[in-house]
This record gives sequence, structure tokens and C-alpha cells, in this order.
Amino acid sequence: MSGFRLNLRDGVGTAIGDKSIQFVFDGKPYRGREGDSLASALMANGVSIVGRSFKYHRPRGIFSAGSEEPNALVTLHRGARREPNIRATEVELYDGLTARSQNRWPSVNFDVMAINQLAGSAFSAGFYYKTFMGPGRRGHKATQFWWFCEQFIRRAAGLGRGTNLPDPDHYGRMNAYCDILVVGTGAAGLAAARRAAAGGARVIVCEERAVAGGSLTSLPDYIDGEPARDWAAGQRDELSAMDNVTLLTRTTVQSYFDDNTFLAIERVTDHQARPAAATPRQRAWNIRARSAVIATGALERPIVFAGNDRPGVMLADAARRYAVEFGTAPGRAVAVFTNNDTGWLVARDMARAGVIVTDIIDVRTDVPDEIRAISEETRAAVSTGSAIRSVKGARAVSGAVIAEYNEMTGELGETRKTIACDCIAVSGGWSPVFHLTSQQGGKPVWEAELQAFLPGEPTQNWHGAGAMVGAFGLRAALQSGDKAAGAALADAKLRKGRGHVPKVEGDAIDYAPAPVFEINSGGKSFVDLQHDVTAEDVRLAHREGFVSVEHLKRYTTLGMATDQGKTSNVTGLAIMAAASDKAIADTGTTRFRPPYTPVTLGALAGEKYGHLAAERLTPMHDWHVEQDAHMYANGPWLRPESYNLPGETVEQAYIRETRLVREGVGIVDVSTLGKIDVQGPDAAEFLNRIYTNGFAKLPVGKARYGLMLREDGFLFDDGTTWRLAENRYLMTTTTAGAGRVMEHLEYYRDFVWPNLKVALASVSDEWAGIAVAGPKSRAVLKACVKGCDVSDKGLPFMGVRDATIGGIEVKIARLSFSGELAYEVYCGSHHGQSLWDLLFKAGEKHNIVPYGLEALSTLRIEKGHVAGPELNGRTTPHDLALSGMVSSKKNFVGSVLLQRETFSKADRLQLVAVKSLDGQRVSGGSHLVSGSKDNPGRSQGHVTSPCYSPELGCYISLAMLEGGSARHGEKMFFSNPVRNKHGAVEVISHHMIDPTGGRMHG
Amino acid sequence: MVDAPEKQSPLRDLAMPRQIGTEANVELTERLCDSLVQVQAWPNSVGKVEKILKTLKRCVTMPSGPGRWLIEGEEEGLEEGLRRELTDDLGAVTGLTHARVVISISGPRATRVLASGIALDFDESNFAVGSTQLAHHHEIGLTIHRLAEDQFDLYVFTSLSRSFWQWIEKASAEYGCRIV
Repeated sequence: MSGFRLNLRDGVGTAIGDKSIQFVFDGKPYRGREGDSLASALMANGVSIVGRSFKYHRPRGIFSAGSEEPNALVTLHRGARREPNIRATEVELYDGLTARSQNRWPSVNFDVMAINQLAGSAFSAGFYYKTFMGPGRRGHKATQFWWFCEQFIRRAAGLGRGTNLPDPDHYGRMNAYCDILVVGTGAAGLAAARRAAAGGARVIVCEERAVAGGSLTSLPDYIDGEPARDWAAGQRDELSAMDNVTLLTRTTVQSYFDDNTFLAIERVTDHQARPAAATPRQRAWNIRARSAVIATGALERPIVFAGNDRPGVMLADAARRYAVEFGTAPGRAVAVFTNNDTGWLVARDMARAGVIVTDIIDVRTDVPDEIRAISEETRAAVSTGSAIRSVKGARAVSGAVIAEYNEMTGELGETRKTIACDCIAVSGGWSPVFHLTSQQGGKPVWEAELQAFLPGEPTQNWHGAGAMVGAFGLRAALQSGDKAAGAALADAKLRKGRGHVPKVEGDAIDYAPAPVFEINSGGKSFVDLQHDVTAEDVRLAHREGFVSVEHLKRYTTLGMATDQGKTSNVTGLAIMAAASDKAIADTGTTRFRPPYTPVTLGALAGEKYGHLAAERLTPMHDWHVEQDAHMYANGPWLRPESYNLPGETVEQAYIRETRLVREGVGIVDVSTLGKIDVQGPDAAEFLNRIYTNGFAKLPVGKARYGLMLREDGFLFDDGTTWRLAENRYLMTTTTAGAGRVMEHLEYYRDFVWPNLKVALASVSDEWAGIAVAGPKSRAVLKACVKGCDVSDKGLPFMGVRDATIGGIEVKIARLSFSGELAYEVYCGSHHGQSLWDLLFKAGEKHNIVPYGLEALSTLRIEKGHVAGPELNGRTTPHDLALSGMVSSKKNFVGSVLLQRETFSKADRLQLVAVKSLDGQRVSGGSHLVSGSKDNPGRSQGHVTSPCYSPELGCYISLAMLEGGSARHGEKMFFSNPVRNKHGAVEVISHHMIDPTGGRMHG
Repeated sequence: MVDAPEKQSPLRDLAMPRQIGTEANVELTERLCDSLVQVQAWPNSVGKVEKILKTLKRCVTMPSGPGRWLIEGEEEGLEEGLRRELTDDLGAVTGLTHARVVISISGPRATRVLASGIALDFDESNFAVGSTQLAHHHEIGLTIHRLAEDQFDLYVFTSLSRSFWQWIEKASAEYGCRIV
């Protein structure tokens, strides 16, 4: 193929402008024109080989002009933006574009791995299975051989290589709703969009290409008295100006999901040399449509013949588009090979554009006279009842051998002549693009007249139009588009109105091809160009017993590459049908899956790329960060782990913080605790049923620690609930459990006890929470609290009072998680930082210390208070020595199943503590065993919450141990094979400090 | 009696006035409520509660569920006032003044910015001026009040407001944005 730029004039080069564009391909600079695709620009520069094939490394050229391209795959850009396997036919040219060919070394013109062609017969279908399959263990010859060969094969075969660098681009998303989605803007799509818009519907129109118009941009026909491309331009201008229409170009509708939901990917800046930094590279559209008109057209398919993969062999309609739209001749001497009338029209249109068409070869003998007459305008030699026996040329087409052909028997006869040409434009008929409806489950139906599959019955509100439903030709397409829009308007409960089909002047031809899919002359004939699957591979699969199309596909990999067999599926199926002596309709077809074309993963991630989840921050977050606290993700919250002094490790920091709390006073941010407002005349009764312990008689101004169970009797969550007024409570939950507790409460309120008048509202964000803990905590509060007596009498243990601190209204509850005298002080979130500052200032003379999550945890472990690691969904109140909190005088959620016999067994895992006897840190996740490191024996339990205890002066941990409550004093080992740790521990009571509670009651 | 210090926005300096890009097709601003209250009526008292809420002055009442409203008042003390009016037999009053930050967005591209992150049909046939919708931006729950065709108040959970602001500012930047 020796493409070149034609003499541009009216009707030749309709898509390109005058501006010269510089680009680089395989390191060499070229020039194209504004409006060129990379493929058309390469073609205009005479570049014929643009890539090497997947398996055999055969030279490959440009085959199509759209997203169906199997051959011309390139790698764009460099560094972090490097993107492989991009179809050159879809890349819009811009200044500075850099592209490289793929799967070749050292260059696309001289590829060492082309040696694979010599072993072509060895690489037939099932090559890997036959050669390498074996059990996945060493010692099996086939498997060993695979391990040896794999590294070489992976380097030699394949497509382009991506990058491991983070994607520097950002991506957007759009949620769109419409009455009618129109997919495609050919004649049918535009007709549908016109009628839908005129009917007052909210319409979204999606077009894959840069310019709306579909095939109208290259057809010579007239609509309503003007050239089809001008009519299309007028229609898109009108649609764009309408408030109820959104016209999206460069937007591929990739997927069709349930509930008439579509995913479309808009390539926002891919065509721009220097996109604005704030503009997303691509945008994923989630479109929810009441109805849809699918007008996706049809893809031309090739005829398979020997040497049909040579650069220079391409689809006929693509050749026309290059000539008419891009003003580029696909070759200096073009032969057209066809089994239908469209090939003849392509020959005529190319000749009109200035392309020399040397030959028209048609497998049919019965070609209509008006079609034959076309040859007079093209001045091409005509060979009917003929076919291409083989292609001349090693690295590109240099000619073809033409032979007699019997379309009834499919047999080749005498060679008629050898022609010289550098491009063979092939038309094997048309395959409707029903990928979207197939994704939805509509089973396609074989239409023998058109030799094509058509979409099956709709399973949702969609209506096909144009070539997609077999309505070929402009007039039929316009009519079907208009009709489909009428039906879609009815779906959307809008008035259908009256349709209008514009007048068409132009070619009226028969689009039905002769049922010829392959010219079997014995040479290497490719069905799937991208995966190097030959017609013989398909027959081999049949001989080896692969009768199902699905099996054929997987065995030969036909249609499994990045193009998903857009130009090969039907042909492959036809060859399979012929081999099995079945009709195509009886052979079946595979179902298409989303997406329609390859999609960048970043586009699917959308704005979440690099930002996986929202972070919840407390009002004092900035203060923690300013103190260089190490912030720790605790669910969605960020919390300070510890406030390390210079040179301190986290362990050193939390030990210091814990010690200072026990000796003096510390302050910790507890704003993350879940908080739920429970109100109503039945609030007390509601809480009484939710908690295991009694809440009905809790006095106003008091708090109570409560346990919640699931219905199956296992612990669900815990926390304190404060009675603020007769019918108003503030419930606190664990940080992690806040959401699920809210759901739990709402479920019981709404579905189980709907007669209870209880209102629930999350107030987690309303209140900032600060705990002040330590023997000097009362002194700190006394220095700053107004309106409340904080003495032991004025604010007793579990008391709740309203007060002010520095004018800020606060609620103070005397609660202790640490085991020390302690208070929790709550205020409105927007005052949280001010309150923190005031408390800190009040504590300065007592050397108040901020403490983080690690110290908070250490304090509660020493005290033996349970938390998340112990409330793990597998423990009961009895297991955690909390039986005293289980009321026997009332029913509550979980009360029945808590009485299961198994929950009372003495050998259940029970809460204990262990302390290290050999100075080793007790590793989290360790098992408790009786044996040595070499022979540890079975697990008798596990540690749950380990830490270093400043109070005990050794490493400790809470643990769950079989029958643990009766094993205090027993010597055991903790065993952690994963971390290779084994150490001696003693089982002790989980009440490691102040078992009588004197400190917190003090 | 010492006056309480000024309330602090969780957005801190993020919402400082500035221009992003050369155009201003979107305007963003934030505010803290003087009063924000949730009212929940019991099933048999919805009508009575509605009548009381209609008498409120200088308040915006936004339906937020069956028998439930979110009410923003222009003055402090709405919670206490409503609690006096709405006795326990009528419903419950919950103060949420500190639980939300109001992020306002306006301008010709405001709807497009919102649609880029929120799965909600912003067409006026579905979301009329003056009405309220409950929605999500991924894991962030939102109450959205439409003030005009291209003007919205978004009531965002305080703890998540910074994450939400970061998103909306980035989404607005594409169209040119002024923070006021």
C-alpha cells in the first residue's frame, strides 16, 4: 500500500482542514492535516506497515477507519501517560502527538520475531494446551517445559506494553437522566433525535466519532436537496442549539445495564495537544434513559482469502472514507473485491475522489445492470464470477491472482489473470452492531436474506433503527429512525406526534451479499487478524471436537482480542458452520459483554481515582496534625495514634502518655464515638428492649453502660447512654459501630416495634467529645467549668450535667474508659477546638498531656475494659465476664438465643489477660498454646489486645482462652508462627489494675 | 457570663475567597447555621406538626422523610423554641446546628458540577425550585435545597465537609470557579 494525499477539492477531504500538524511515529517526524486521524495521516505519508501481528509477527497495515480496527494498534505517549493498543484509526491528530508501533523488535519494518512465521503451522489452534498443559507441579514434563518457555513466549507474543507509573491524568463522571437516549448519529440516529427532540423529550445523543453524521459524512447522496454531509451538519447544528438536547461527540456508549442504564465514555481531551489542567481527560457518563434508540449502524466485514492480512488489504468502506473524508488515497492502484453491490459504489466514489481503481472483482455472476454500469465511470476492469486466489507481495500488497469462482459450490476454477495493485478494498457484507442489545440478553436472529445477525426481541425499552436492525440504505434508515423515536416517545409517556422523513436522492441498491465468507485456496487465510486466527484454525477446532461456538472461541481465541472480533465473528461462525455442515442459524452466536471498546480503567474510577474514600475529621483534627501526631485511619476517621516527642517511637510515646495520665491528667479527642439521639414517650421502653441491662429506671442526669446483642445472642456493640430528660437520651456507640447500630435501631423501631413512639437521629457530627482522665482531671474541670459542681457529690460517678466552659455550653458526664477518675465533655462541634484549647489551658498547671489512640487503648487494656477486638461478633456477655449486665427480669434483643446451652459451656473461650514472662512483646494475633516452639500443640485461645503496661512493667494482652476464667495463674506460651514468635506468658485476671474501681469512683 | 467564642468552620482556610481559572461559571461559598433542627412527628401527629411548622418565621423548612423536616432558622434558639411548641406527644426535636455545614453553589454550570458527582436528576421536572432532595456523593450523605434554577444549598455532615469541599472545588474548577 502506497497511500498518498489526493488533490483536495470540494467533496474530497471533507473532514480535514488546511492547518499542517506535526507528529512522530516510531521516532520519525511526519506531517498531517488538522482533522486527520493518525491512520489517515500515516496513510497519506505512505506508511504501509504500522504494526506486527500478535502471534506470527506478520506485518500489518491499516484495515479499517473506525473502532473495529484489528491491526493498526499503536502505543501513544511516553512515561506515565504511555498507553498501549490504541487504534490509530480513532486517534485524532494534534501537534506533537507521539506514537509507536508495537510487538516488534528492533523496528516495525524489520522484526526479528517474524521468524515465527516459519513455524506457523506449529502455532495452530490449541498450541499452548497441546504443548504445555500438565499438572501444576514440578516433575511433569509439559509443565516444566512451560515454565522454561513462558518467559520467552510472553516477550515474543502479545500487544503493547503499558506503564507501571501512576496515571497523572484525572477523570470525571456525569450522572445524566433523559427521556430518550439516541446511540449513533448516522441517518437513523439523526432522524430519531430530530423526532424525539421535536416531541419535547429530553434527549441525549451519543456519537463515537469527533463529528456527528455516521456514514452520511462520506456518502454522495442528497437529503432534502442538499448533500448528505451538509444535511447532517445542519441537523447536528439544530440539535445542538436545542435546550432539550445534549449532543455528545467522541462519546462511545460502552455498556447497557438493567433499568435502561447506560455507561458512555467521553474522550474529553484525548484529541488536544495541551488540555486545560482542570479538565478531565475522559468522562464516564451514567445515563438513565426512559427509552433508547439504538442506531449503531453496521460494520463491514471482510472476505477471507489467502494473504488477506497483507498491508494494503482493507475494508472497502474504510477505503472510501479515507478518500472522501480524509482526502487520502489508500493506494496508487486499488482493486475492489466484493460479494455485494456496495463494493461497486465504493469503487465509483473512490474514482470520483481521484483514486485509480484498477479492478472490480465480484464473486457473483448475476450483478444488476445498473451496478455494472458503474464500472464505466470508474474505468476499472470487471471480473464477475471471480475471486482472489492469492495476494502477491511479501511485506505489502503488490498484486493479486484472480481466478474463476463458483459462488454456489464455493470452488475456485482456472486462474484468469494476475493484476498489479497495492491496495485491495474488500467488502464481504455488513454485520449490524447490536453489541449493546446483546449485552442486555437479546438473542440475535440470523437473517438469511441479509446474511447477517439482527438483534433479537427487546428486553427493555429500546428500539433499533437503521442498519443495526437491517434497515440498510438512507431511505430505510431515516424511516426506521423516525419510527423508533415515535415508539421511544410513547415509552417515555410523551406524545408521539407526527413523523417526518426527508426526501432522499441517491443510490438505491441491494445490500444483501452473496453468502460467500471465505475463498479457500489453501494459503494462510486470516479470520481474526488481531489474534492471528486462521480459517484452518477454525476447521482444526471443529475436527478436534469443538462443536459449540463458545468452545470454538476459547480454543482458537477467535474474537477474544481488544477488538472483540468486530470484523471476524460472523466470518468465523460461517466457516465453523460450513465445516460442521450446518446452517449458520443453527450454529449459534456468542453474547457480547461490556464494554463495546476497550476502556481506560481511570475513566471507570472517575473522580475516585487517587481518592478512594472520604475522610471523617474531628473538629480538633488540625490541632493534632500541628502537634505532629501520627494520624491513624480508624474506619473512615483519622485519629491521632500518639503524639511523639522528637526521637520517640510510637511505643515510647504511648507508654509516656499512659504513665502521665495515670499519674496526673490527660486529654483525648473522643469525637469519633457514635452518638444517637433517642427521643419519644416510648424511648425508655425502646432502650430497655435493645440493651441487655435495664434502662427504664435510669434517672435523668445519669449515664449507664449498656450491652447490645444480635438476635443470635452474640454481642453487637456497647457504650454509655445518657438520660438527658424524661423522654430524651443520648446514646453513644463504638466508633466503628455507629452506622450499624443506627441501622439496628431503625430496623427494630420501624419493623419490629412500629407502635413505639421513638425518634432516632444521628448526632455523631453534632457533638465534639473530649475525655479528661487521670487523678487530676477533677482539678482541671474545677478550674474552668461554670454552672456545675464537679465535686464527687455534685457530679458522682456516671452523673451527667449541663454546664459552660468559657461560655461554651457543654455536657459533662463522669465516665471512665481508662479506669481513672475521668470525665467526658461534649460541646457543639463548631466549638470543639475552642473547648479543647480551654481545657488544655486549664490543665497546664497540672501538666496535662494529650494522648492518642494507643494510650487510650493501653489504659483500657490495663483496666480490662473490652473493645472492638473482644466484641468481634463471636463473643457473648458470659464470655467477657459481663454476665452481671444481663437482666433476667425482662426480654431484650438476643435474650432467647443467649440461653442456648452451648453459651454456658465451661470450655468456651473466655476473657483473660496474659502477661509476658520473658520480656517479649506479645504479638497481635498470637495463639495460646501449652507446648514449646518446636511442638506448640493445639491452639487453646488467642490474644486480642496486646500492649506494654507501664503499670505492670511488662508486656500484656487481653486474650480469649478456653475455660479461661478458671485458669488464672497458669503458665502458657503465645505462639505466632507467621512472625516466628514464641514466648512464655502467665494467665491472669483481665482486671489488671484497680479491680475494686477505687480510682474511677474516687 | 462569658460569651461563647465564634463557631469555627471545619473547612478552615479551604473556603477562602479566590478565583480558580479565568471564568466564573460556578460560585461556591460556605456558612454555618445559626440554628438547624430536625423535627420528627409521630405517625398520628404529622398534620398537627405541619401546622405548627408553617407558623415559623425566618426559617427554611425542608422535608427530609415521612413526617420529618430539617429546619434552618436565621436566629439561634430554634431548638429550644420548637421544643416548647412540640411536646412529646407530637414529636421529637433534635438540634443539628453543629452537625452540618452548608455549602452553597450557584452559577450557570452549578447543575452540571453537582450532576458530575451526585446521581440525581436535577431537571426541574424532578427537582423543582424550592424543593429538597436527599442524595449521596459516594459515602457522603447530602440534603440539597434548590433555591433557584442554578442555585443550591447543600447540607453536608460536618466531619465529612472537608472531603466534600475538596471534591466540589475540583469538580467546579473545570468550568471556572469563584469562591466567595
